[in-house]
Amino acid sequence: MIKKIFFVALFGIAVGCSVDEEFEGPSLNDLYGSFMIITPLDITDRNVDFAEGELTSFTAVFSKQVDWKVRIKGLSSGAVKEMTGFSNSLNSDNAQWNGTTTFLPMFRAEECAVELTFLSEPDTLRDTLSLSSGRVNEGLLLSDFESGFPSGWTTFVQSGANMSFVVQTNNNAAQGTRYYDMGGTVNWDWLKGLFEIPATVYGSPRFDLNPNPEQVFFNAMLYKPAAIDNALVLFQFREDDNQDGVYSSSSEDMYSIQVDPSVNGWTLLNAKYADLQTLINGAPAPAIGNGIREPHKCMRVSVLFLAAPTSGYTQGYIDYLIFTENGPLQP
Amino acid sequence: MKKWYNIILLLWLLPNVYSAQTTPKKFSFTGAARGYFLGDQLNQDLSLEDSITVPRLNSGHVMADLGLNIRPNKNMEIQGMVRVRNDYGGFWGSGVTFDIRQMYVKGVIGGVVRYQLGDINYRLTKYTFWNNDQELFDLAPTALKQQWDVVNYDHFHDLQNSWRQQGGAAEWGLIFSKAVEEIQFRAFGTRVRASNNSSINDRVFTGGTAQVVQSKYFAAGISYVNFLDIEGTSRNNTLLRNPVVSMNASANYASTDWIIRAEAEWGRSSTRFLNNEEAKDRDGTFSELGIRIQRAKTGWFLHGLVKRVESAFNSPGAQTRRLNLNGQPASFQRIGNEQELRPFSMLDLMRESSMYNMQLQPYLMNFSPRYDNITPFGAATPNRQGIIVTAGGEVIPGLSVELAQYMLTETRGEGTAEGRDFVRSQAKVKWSNLHEKRSKGRRIILEGNIRRDQTSRPGTEFYRGVDLETTVGAIGLELEVIEKLDVIAGWQWVEYRGFDFTAVRNEYAEIFNFSEYSVNGKESMTAAGLRYRFSDKAFLSAQMNFFHTDDENVLTAHYQIQQFMLLYQINF
Repeated sequence: MIKKIFFVALFGIAVGCSVDEEFEGPSLNDLYGSFMIITPLDITDRNVDFAEGELTSFTAVFSKQVDWKVRIKGLSSGAVKEMTGFSNSLNSDNAQWNGTTTFLPMFRAEECAVELTFLSEPDTLRDTLSLSSGRVNEGLLLSDFESGFPSGWTTFVQSGANMSFVVQTNNNAAQGTRYYDMGGTVNWDWLKGLFEIPATVYGSPRFDLNPNPEQVFFNAMLYKPAAIDNALVLFQFREDDNQDGVYSSSSEDMYSIQVDPSVNGWTLLNAKYADLQTLINGAPAPAIGNGIREPHKCMRVSVLFLAAPTSGYTQGYIDYLIFTENGPLQP
Repeated sequence: MKKWYNIILLLWLLPNVYSAQTTPKKFSFTGAARGYFLGDQLNQDLSLEDSITVPRLNSGHVMADLGLNIRPNKNMEIQGMVRVRNDYGGFWGSGVTFDIRQMYVKGVIGGVVRYQLGDINYRLTKYTFWNNDQELFDLAPTALKQQWDVVNYDHFHDLQNSWRQQGGAAEWGLIFSKAVEEIQFRAFGTRVRASNNSSINDRVFTGGTAQVVQSKYFAAGISYVNFLDIEGTSRNNTLLRNPVVSMNASANYASTDWIIRAEAEWGRSSTRFLNNEEAKDRDGTFSELGIRIQRAKTGWFLHGLVKRVESAFNSPGAQTRRLNLNGQPASFQRIGNEQELRPFSMLDLMRESSMYNMQLQPYLMNFSPRYDNITPFGAATPNRQGIIVTAGGEVIPGLSVELAQYMLTETRGEGTAEGRDFVRSQAKVKWSNLHEKRSKGRRIILEGNIRRDQTSRPGTEFYRGVDLETTVGAIGLELEVIEKLDVIAGWQWVEYRGFDFTAVRNEYAEIFNFSEYSVNGKESMTAAGLRYRFSDKAFLSAQMNFFHTDDENVLTAHYQIQQFMLLYQINF
């Protein structure tokens, strides 16, 4: 009997003194181990069609956890997608691509170069893949200018010098091959030109948007040429508060966003409708109408291209104006 | 008719016990006085002579702790103690300081509840509220312990492993005539940290225990402590909550031949930083089961202990260390021609008052693996499991031996799934003639202690294995040459060699990195001198100490310090 108790006690101690499988802190293997690529870079779908909802993943296995970066560059568009992580493998959990871009422009049907690099290792792995189509985004697309300047939109352009409010077609577009180019010199007015987007163009007197301003986002892609530092873009959203089909500037709300592009190249504007403000001459002001941000009552979007009258020539591009719901655009 | 139970006041704690059997004085004086002088001389082992560091340092002070104990009535006691200290060399009072050292009020309410407000010394169990000895202290010979005792007294670390806190405590109990002999209750609440009215919250440590004594054969209890921030006492809404609950039980058996005692304790901690998403919740458990078998006639005993303390077990009351290694020694702080910081040494461990801590800390404090890599946080050291076996007794009258063997591993690996192994072998031998009743017998005490610690873990081709060894030895002598005049001598040394990875933790005790820790050195302290014992409470001691350190891996750890110490100590 005593022997049995003794052996049971020994077994209990042995079981009780086991070491947990998980360990604390960073892996010593990761901190001190040498780096080796055990399984080289591979791509699960080398001819991916994002418009059809396809996805592609990158795979690789390393000897230890490292900071890695996968960089995909569109060889035609110049679009760049970057994915980063700290792990000892790439797989569908940490390196899956749905066609989004990190740095505009957006990907299109094109060949892409893939590059896998490591923060603390000199190795670089390269591969390529082909896109049958770019990503299709959900939302109310106002225009991507791929069919030219939309019919039903109205425009006003000052009679200044070198005025160029036109749709351009070349590889510089943020999406596709076309964008709207705004530029010129107007030395008597801030306004260089504008275009207006009435909701009626889209089949109803007001834009068909979610009434919750927290869930509605306005997105647009803006381009600042390297030599231009004086451009301002003002977006205005006029609401038909009383829903009579007419905007009254004295009794109905107009919310605005003023953008001062500071980064050269394309940037993405994401604005939550709830964050829009009433602006007068660029400064916040009391609401004109009921003061309630009501996306579903928005009846017209105006885009004004501005610059100080004495600042000389100015220029900027705009592309892919779209309302999205439940989150900003992920191009 | 006999009442089923009686409620009585239970007086458990030995210090400051109020006894109704004696008639106490209304006023009495208590305290201590001390004269302490240290004369140091630094000798460095350098190829190029150090022309910058001043090689001699003298320091010392005389101080008196003057306490007034007032008993307004038989149920109340008031104690106030002032420390007056004058550093040697202070001129016209410039080196004089006055501090309040102690202040409390205590008494009995209705003959039932005993309370104390103000300064309280408190402890519960080794896993909930316990002030663990500092490294190497229990192995030090008497000659060296004189200086350790000074530091411990100044920081209230000499009171039976209790922590000095400010707050209140109450105790009461129930006695039963059937089934259960008594139930003892204790509760306390202390303020650990004061708010700065801006970003630091008030922090308190509170808890209590209930112990059921069923009979002389069996007792059990539950303890609870909580280390927590008080909401609303600052603008910082991150609030620490660290409760620890512990249950304990003990069983005793005694016959004419054997005395057997079994003890068990197990519990759980829960660490939360409310309103802070960065801090992960940590829950940890501990358990311990010990059995002690003793021969009633000879006193020989064998004690076996099985324990497991999980890595996430966090108990500020039991894991806070006396030593704060984040500071720098004040004596010879920078040495060498480059005036580099002098690393902490065994000499500083023994006497460096500024590096001792009195405040409970919510996180695991830094420790020095070269001195103790196995139990740096005492019994509650997290991430330890295994067996501890202790045996001892009196070989011949006056000669006692105690042997201990620790065989521990980690409960969870650090940086790898494989845990470290810890092995400690320790022996203590002490011989004295104090048991002899001869009237002319001179006091002779000889003691020798040795301990060897090993930490190991296999490495891989990518990182080094852990292999750290520490050997601590001590020899002590007390020889009474003339009545009450003793020659005292002691030698303590520590050798350390090897490599380990030390965990680097963030403010939430999570390991985020490891630093390589490599040592190969030795330190030794030799002391010899005379001590005159005026009484059991007063002595004068003069001794010379020679400290030597040499560590291959530390540029500034090659030196000797020759120390003259004069200590007069009286308690009253």
